[in-house]
Amino acid sequence: MADVDLSQSKGKQKHGGKRRKKRVGVRIDMTPMVDVAFLLLTFFMLTTTMNKPQTMEINLPPGGQTAEVAESNLLTLRVTDDFRIFWNIGTNKPAAVDGSDKKAKLIALGKLLKEQNSANPKLITLVKVDGKAKYIDMVDVMDELNLNNINRFSLAPMVEDDKKILAAL
Amino acid sequence: MSKTKRVGFKLDMTPMVDVGFLLLTFFMLTTQFKPQDVAEVVLPSSHSAFKLPDSDVMVVTVDKDGNVYLGVDSQNLRAQLFGVENRLRAGMQVQLSELSKLLREARIRNPKLRTVIKGDKESEYNVIQTVMETLQKENITRFNLVTDLEK
Repeated sequence: MADVDLSQSKGKQKHGGKRRKKRVGVRIDMTPMVDVAFLLLTFFMLTTTMNKPQTMEINLPPGGQTAEVAESNLLTLRVTDDFRIFWNIGTNKPAAVDGSDKKAKLIALGKLLKEQNSANPKLITLVKVDGKAKYIDMVDVMDELNLNNINRFSLAPMVEDDKKILAAL
Repeated sequence: MSKTKRVGFKLDMTPMVDVGFLLLTFFMLTTQFKPQDVAEVVLPSSHSAFKLPDSDVMVVTVDKDGNVYLGVDSQNLRAQLFGVENRLRAGMQVQLSELSKLLREARIRNPKLRTVIKGDKESEYNVIQTVMETLQKENITRFNLVTDLEK
Protein backbone atom coordinates (compact mmCIF):
# COMPACT_ATOMS: atom_id res chain seq x y z
CA MET A 1 0.00 0.00 0.00
CA ALA A 2 2.43 2.62 1.14
CA ASP A 3 5.51 1.27 -0.49
CA VAL A 4 8.17 2.89 -2.48
CA ASP A 5 9.32 0.74 -5.34
CA LEU A 6 12.88 1.49 -6.22
CA SER A 7 13.38 -1.39 -8.63
CA GLN A 8 13.61 0.24 -11.97
CA SER A 9 13.39 -1.24 -15.40
CA LYS A 10 13.31 -4.91 -14.66
CA GLY A 11 12.86 -5.61 -18.32
CA LYS A 12 16.25 -4.25 -19.21
CA GLN A 13 18.15 -6.73 -17.16
CA LYS A 14 18.88 -9.24 -19.82
CA HIS A 15 19.41 -6.72 -22.48
CA GLY A 16 22.54 -6.92 -24.55
CA GLY A 17 23.57 -10.33 -23.39
CA LYS A 18 26.05 -8.81 -21.00
CA ARG A 19 25.71 -10.05 -17.53
CA ARG A 20 24.99 -7.14 -15.27
CA LYS A 21 24.80 -7.35 -11.57
CA LYS A 22 21.29 -8.17 -10.76
CA ARG A 23 19.53 -5.19 -9.27
CA VAL A 24 17.44 -6.18 -6.39
CA GLY A 25 14.10 -4.43 -6.21
CA VAL A 26 14.09 -2.46 -3.00
CA ARG A 27 10.75 -2.01 -1.42
CA ILE A 28 10.60 0.11 1.66
CA ASP A 29 7.57 -0.39 3.76
CA MET A 30 6.40 3.08 4.69
CA THR A 31 3.52 1.96 6.86
CA PRO A 32 5.17 2.44 10.29
CA MET A 33 6.44 5.88 9.39
CA VAL A 34 3.04 6.97 8.19
CA ASP A 35 1.51 5.52 11.33
CA VAL A 36 3.83 7.54 13.52
CA ALA A 37 3.19 10.64 11.46
CA PHE A 38 -0.54 10.33 11.90
CA LEU A 39 -0.11 9.67 15.57
CA LEU A 40 1.83 12.91 15.90
CA LEU A 41 -0.71 14.69 13.78
CA THR A 42 -3.50 13.60 16.09
CA PHE A 43 -1.46 14.66 19.09
CA PHE A 44 -0.79 18.12 17.77
CA MET A 45 -4.35 18.57 16.58
CA LEU A 46 -5.76 17.69 19.97
CA THR A 47 -3.30 19.64 22.07
CA THR A 48 -3.31 22.84 20.07
CA THR A 49 -5.45 25.45 21.71
CA MET A 50 -6.31 28.15 19.27
CA ASN A 51 -7.93 30.45 21.76
CA LYS A 52 -5.95 33.06 23.54
CA PRO A 53 -7.11 34.43 26.85
CA GLN A 54 -9.60 37.24 26.67
CA THR A 55 -8.96 40.54 28.30
CA MET A 56 -11.04 43.38 29.48
CA GLU A 57 -9.68 46.83 28.89
CA ILE A 58 -9.84 49.48 31.54
CA ASN A 59 -9.02 53.13 31.15
CA LEU A 60 -8.48 55.02 34.33
CA PRO A 61 -7.95 58.74 34.52
CA PRO A 62 -4.32 59.59 35.33
CA GLY A 63 -3.61 59.82 39.04
CA GLY A 64 -3.89 63.14 40.78
CA GLN A 65 -6.42 64.49 38.34
CA THR A 66 -9.85 65.28 39.54
CA ALA A 67 -12.78 65.99 37.34
CA GLU A 68 -15.76 68.00 38.43
CA VAL A 69 -18.98 66.22 37.72
CA ALA A 70 -22.42 67.61 38.30
CA GLU A 71 -24.18 65.70 41.02
CA SER A 72 -27.10 64.82 38.83
CA ASN A 73 -24.74 63.21 36.33
CA LEU A 74 -23.10 60.89 38.76
CA LEU A 75 -24.36 57.39 39.27
CA THR A 76 -22.70 55.67 42.18
CA LEU A 77 -22.68 51.91 42.42
CA ARG A 78 -21.63 50.37 45.68
CA VAL A 79 -20.90 46.69 45.92
CA THR A 80 -20.59 45.13 49.34
CA ASP A 81 -18.56 42.09 50.31
CA ASP A 82 -21.64 39.85 50.31
CA PHE A 83 -22.51 41.09 46.84
CA ARG A 84 -25.34 43.42 47.51
CA ILE A 85 -25.43 46.24 44.98
CA PHE A 86 -26.66 49.72 45.84
CA TRP A 87 -27.10 52.52 43.41
CA ASN A 88 -27.88 56.18 43.70
CA ILE A 89 -27.69 59.33 41.66
CA GLY A 90 -25.92 62.27 43.19
CA THR A 91 -26.57 62.31 46.89
CA ASN A 92 -29.87 60.48 46.80
CA LYS A 93 -30.48 57.65 49.17
CA PRO A 94 -28.93 54.45 47.85
CA ALA A 95 -31.36 51.80 46.71
CA ALA A 96 -30.60 48.11 46.50
CA VAL A 97 -30.57 46.27 43.21
CA ASP A 98 -32.90 43.38 43.78
CA GLY A 99 -32.35 39.84 42.75
CA SER A 100 -32.58 36.45 44.33
CA ASP A 101 -29.07 35.45 43.39
CA LYS A 102 -26.00 36.92 41.81
CA LYS A 103 -27.10 36.34 38.26
CA ALA A 104 -30.50 37.93 38.80
CA LYS A 105 -28.85 40.92 40.44
CA LEU A 106 -26.49 41.37 37.53
CA ILE A 107 -29.34 41.21 35.06
CA ALA A 108 -31.27 43.76 37.12
CA LEU A 109 -28.16 45.92 37.24
CA GLY A 110 -27.79 45.75 33.48
CA LYS A 111 -31.39 46.84 33.04
CA LEU A 112 -30.95 49.66 35.50
CA LEU A 113 -27.81 50.90 33.80
CA LYS A 114 -29.51 50.87 30.44
CA GLU A 115 -32.52 52.81 31.74
CA GLN A 116 -30.47 55.39 33.57
CA ASN A 117 -28.12 55.93 30.67
CA SER A 118 -30.86 56.39 28.13
CA ALA A 119 -32.55 58.82 30.53
CA ASN A 120 -29.36 60.80 30.94
CA PRO A 121 -26.67 60.22 28.30
CA LYS A 122 -24.19 62.35 30.22
CA LEU A 123 -24.21 59.97 33.14
CA ILE A 124 -20.89 58.98 34.61
CA THR A 125 -20.74 55.81 36.62
CA LEU A 126 -18.61 55.50 39.68
CA VAL A 127 -18.03 52.00 40.93
CA LYS A 128 -17.08 51.43 44.53
CA VAL A 129 -16.30 47.90 45.52
CA ASP A 130 -15.69 46.83 49.07
CA GLY A 131 -12.12 45.74 49.67
CA LYS A 132 -13.32 42.49 51.21
CA ALA A 133 -15.33 41.59 48.15
CA LYS A 134 -14.05 39.03 45.70
CA TYR A 135 -12.29 40.07 42.53
CA ILE A 136 -14.90 38.31 40.44
CA ASP A 137 -17.62 40.55 41.87
CA MET A 138 -15.81 43.55 40.49
CA VAL A 139 -15.20 41.84 37.14
CA ASP A 140 -18.88 40.94 36.91
CA VAL A 141 -19.95 44.50 37.52
CA MET A 142 -17.42 45.80 35.01
CA ASP A 143 -18.62 43.23 32.54
CA GLU A 144 -22.16 44.47 32.97
CA LEU A 145 -20.95 48.01 32.31
CA ASN A 146 -19.12 46.90 29.20
CA LEU A 147 -22.10 44.95 27.93
CA ASN A 148 -24.19 48.08 28.16
CA ASN A 149 -21.54 50.07 26.31
CA ILE A 150 -20.83 52.30 29.24
CA ASN A 151 -17.25 53.39 28.90
CA ARG A 152 -17.41 56.45 31.07
CA PHE A 153 -16.89 54.92 34.42
CA SER A 154 -14.40 55.21 37.17
CA LEU A 155 -13.31 53.05 40.04
CA ALA A 156 -13.02 54.40 43.52
CA PRO A 157 -12.18 52.73 46.78
CA MET A 158 -14.97 52.20 49.23
CA VAL A 159 -14.21 54.30 52.26
CA GLU A 160 -15.66 54.25 55.75
CA ASP A 161 -18.17 56.96 54.86
CA ASP A 162 -19.66 54.74 52.16
CA LYS A 163 -19.97 51.89 54.59
CA LYS A 164 -21.69 54.18 57.07
CA ILE A 165 -24.17 55.27 54.45
CA LEU A 166 -24.94 51.69 53.61
CA ALA A 167 -25.17 50.66 57.24
CA ALA A 168 -27.66 53.43 57.89
CA LEU A 169 -30.07 52.03 55.33
CA MET B 1 -18.74 -23.28 -11.81
CA SER B 2 -17.17 -19.94 -12.33
CA LYS B 3 -17.11 -17.75 -9.29
CA THR B 4 -17.11 -14.03 -9.71
CA LYS B 5 -13.52 -13.11 -10.01
CA ARG B 6 -12.31 -11.04 -7.11
CA VAL B 7 -10.51 -8.02 -8.37
CA GLY B 8 -7.28 -7.20 -6.59
CA PHE B 9 -7.98 -3.92 -4.90
CA LYS B 10 -5.18 -1.45 -4.50
CA LEU B 11 -5.73 1.98 -3.09
CA ASP B 12 -3.08 4.60 -3.60
CA MET B 13 -2.58 6.21 -0.22
CA THR B 14 0.10 8.63 -1.34
CA PRO B 15 -2.09 11.77 -1.56
CA MET B 16 -3.61 11.12 1.83
CA VAL B 17 -0.21 10.65 3.39
CA ASP B 18 0.95 13.83 1.70
CA VAL B 19 -1.90 15.79 3.16
CA GLY B 20 -1.29 14.14 6.51
CA PHE B 21 2.30 15.30 6.54
CA LEU B 22 1.31 18.74 5.44
CA LEU B 23 -1.11 19.05 8.36
CA LEU B 24 1.46 17.60 10.71
CA THR B 25 3.99 20.22 9.67
CA PHE B 26 1.38 22.93 10.05
CA PHE B 27 0.40 21.91 13.55
CA MET B 28 3.97 21.36 14.63
CA LEU B 29 4.97 24.82 13.51
CA THR B 30 1.96 26.68 14.84
CA THR B 31 1.64 25.02 18.21
CA GLN B 32 2.65 27.23 21.02
CA PHE B 33 2.98 25.52 24.26
CA LYS B 34 1.24 27.17 27.11
CA PRO B 35 3.64 29.44 28.90
CA GLN B 36 4.37 28.30 32.38
CA ASP B 37 2.41 30.06 35.03
CA VAL B 38 3.87 31.67 38.07
CA ALA B 39 0.92 30.79 40.20
CA GLU B 40 -2.23 28.78 39.95
CA VAL B 41 -4.91 31.24 38.94
CA VAL B 42 -8.55 30.61 38.19
CA LEU B 43 -9.64 33.37 35.87
CA PRO B 44 -12.94 35.15 36.23
CA SER B 45 -15.19 35.05 33.20
CA SER B 46 -16.50 37.94 31.18
CA HIS B 47 -18.06 38.68 27.82
CA SER B 48 -15.16 40.78 26.68
CA ALA B 49 -13.64 39.72 23.38
CA PHE B 50 -10.33 41.53 23.41
CA LYS B 51 -7.42 39.24 22.86
CA LEU B 52 -4.30 39.29 24.91
CA PRO B 53 -1.42 40.72 22.87
CA ASP B 54 1.29 38.30 21.81
CA SER B 55 4.38 40.11 22.92
CA ASP B 56 5.50 42.98 25.08
CA VAL B 57 3.25 42.05 27.93
CA MET B 58 3.87 42.61 31.57
CA VAL B 59 1.67 40.49 33.77
CA VAL B 60 0.83 41.28 37.34
CA THR B 61 -0.53 38.05 38.76
CA VAL B 62 -2.53 38.01 41.95
CA ASP B 63 -3.28 34.60 43.36
CA LYS B 64 -6.06 33.48 45.64
CA ASP B 65 -4.11 34.27 48.80
CA GLY B 66 -3.24 37.77 47.71
CA ASN B 67 0.35 37.13 46.71
CA VAL B 68 1.50 39.36 43.88
CA TYR B 69 3.82 38.21 41.11
CA LEU B 70 5.30 40.23 38.32
CA GLY B 71 6.20 38.64 35.03
CA VAL B 72 7.42 39.90 31.68
CA ASP B 73 7.60 37.88 28.52
CA SER B 74 11.15 38.51 27.40
CA GLN B 75 14.05 36.66 28.98
CA ASN B 76 16.32 39.63 28.54
CA LEU B 77 14.08 41.90 30.49
CA ARG B 78 13.60 39.30 33.18
CA ALA B 79 17.35 39.02 33.55
CA GLN B 80 17.62 42.78 33.91
CA LEU B 81 14.80 43.05 36.39
CA PHE B 82 15.23 40.03 38.59
CA GLY B 83 18.84 39.03 37.98
CA VAL B 84 20.33 36.58 35.49
CA GLU B 85 19.69 33.55 37.66
CA ASN B 86 15.94 34.19 37.52
CA ARG B 87 15.64 34.79 33.82
CA LEU B 88 14.06 31.41 33.12
CA ARG B 89 11.29 31.87 35.63
CA ALA B 90 8.04 33.22 34.28
CA GLY B 91 7.71 35.67 37.10
CA MET B 92 8.79 36.57 40.56
CA GLN B 93 6.86 37.17 43.69
CA VAL B 94 7.05 40.83 44.61
CA GLN B 95 5.93 42.90 47.52
CA LEU B 96 3.32 45.52 46.84
CA SER B 97 5.74 48.16 48.09
CA GLU B 98 8.38 47.34 45.47
CA LEU B 99 5.91 46.83 42.64
CA SER B 100 5.92 50.49 41.78
CA LYS B 101 9.68 50.61 41.33
CA LEU B 102 9.76 47.43 39.27
CA LEU B 103 6.98 48.63 37.00
CA ARG B 104 8.82 51.86 36.35
CA GLU B 105 12.08 50.06 35.69
CA ALA B 106 10.45 47.61 33.30
CA ARG B 107 8.77 50.37 31.40
CA ILE B 108 11.96 52.36 31.09
CA ARG B 109 13.68 49.34 29.57
CA ASN B 110 10.81 48.58 27.24
CA PRO B 111 8.37 51.45 26.78
CA LYS B 112 6.13 49.32 24.57
CA LEU B 113 5.13 47.08 27.45
CA ARG B 114 1.43 46.56 27.95
CA THR B 115 0.29 45.87 31.44
CA VAL B 116 -2.25 43.21 32.25
CA ILE B 117 -3.62 42.10 35.57
CA LYS B 118 -4.26 38.44 36.01
CA GLY B 119 -6.21 37.95 39.16
CA ASP B 120 -7.71 34.87 40.68
CA LYS B 121 -11.45 35.17 40.85
CA GLU B 122 -11.47 34.37 44.53
CA SER B 123 -8.82 36.87 45.50
CA GLU B 124 -9.79 39.81 47.64
CA TYR B 125 -10.56 43.00 45.82
CA ASN B 126 -8.34 44.90 48.25
CA VAL B 127 -5.16 43.59 46.67
CA ILE B 128 -6.37 44.19 43.13
CA GLN B 129 -7.37 47.68 44.11
CA THR B 130 -3.93 48.39 45.52
CA VAL B 131 -2.35 47.04 42.35
CA MET B 132 -4.57 49.24 40.21
CA GLU B 133 -3.76 52.27 42.32
CA THR B 134 -0.08 51.52 41.91
CA LEU B 135 -0.54 51.31 38.16
CA GLN B 136 -2.39 54.58 38.19
CA LYS B 137 0.39 56.23 40.15
CA GLU B 138 2.89 54.98 37.62
CA ASN B 139 0.75 56.56 34.92
CA ILE B 140 -0.33 53.27 33.47
CA THR B 141 -3.92 54.26 32.98
CA ARG B 142 -4.73 51.77 30.29
CA PHE B 143 -4.42 48.20 31.29
CA ASN B 144 -6.22 44.94 30.76
CA LEU B 145 -7.75 42.40 33.05
CA VAL B 146 -7.28 38.84 31.89
CA THR B 147 -10.53 36.94 31.87
CA ASP B 148 -11.99 33.78 30.46
CA LEU B 149 -14.77 33.83 27.96
CA GLU B 150 -18.11 33.43 29.66
CA LYS B 151 -19.94 30.27 28.68
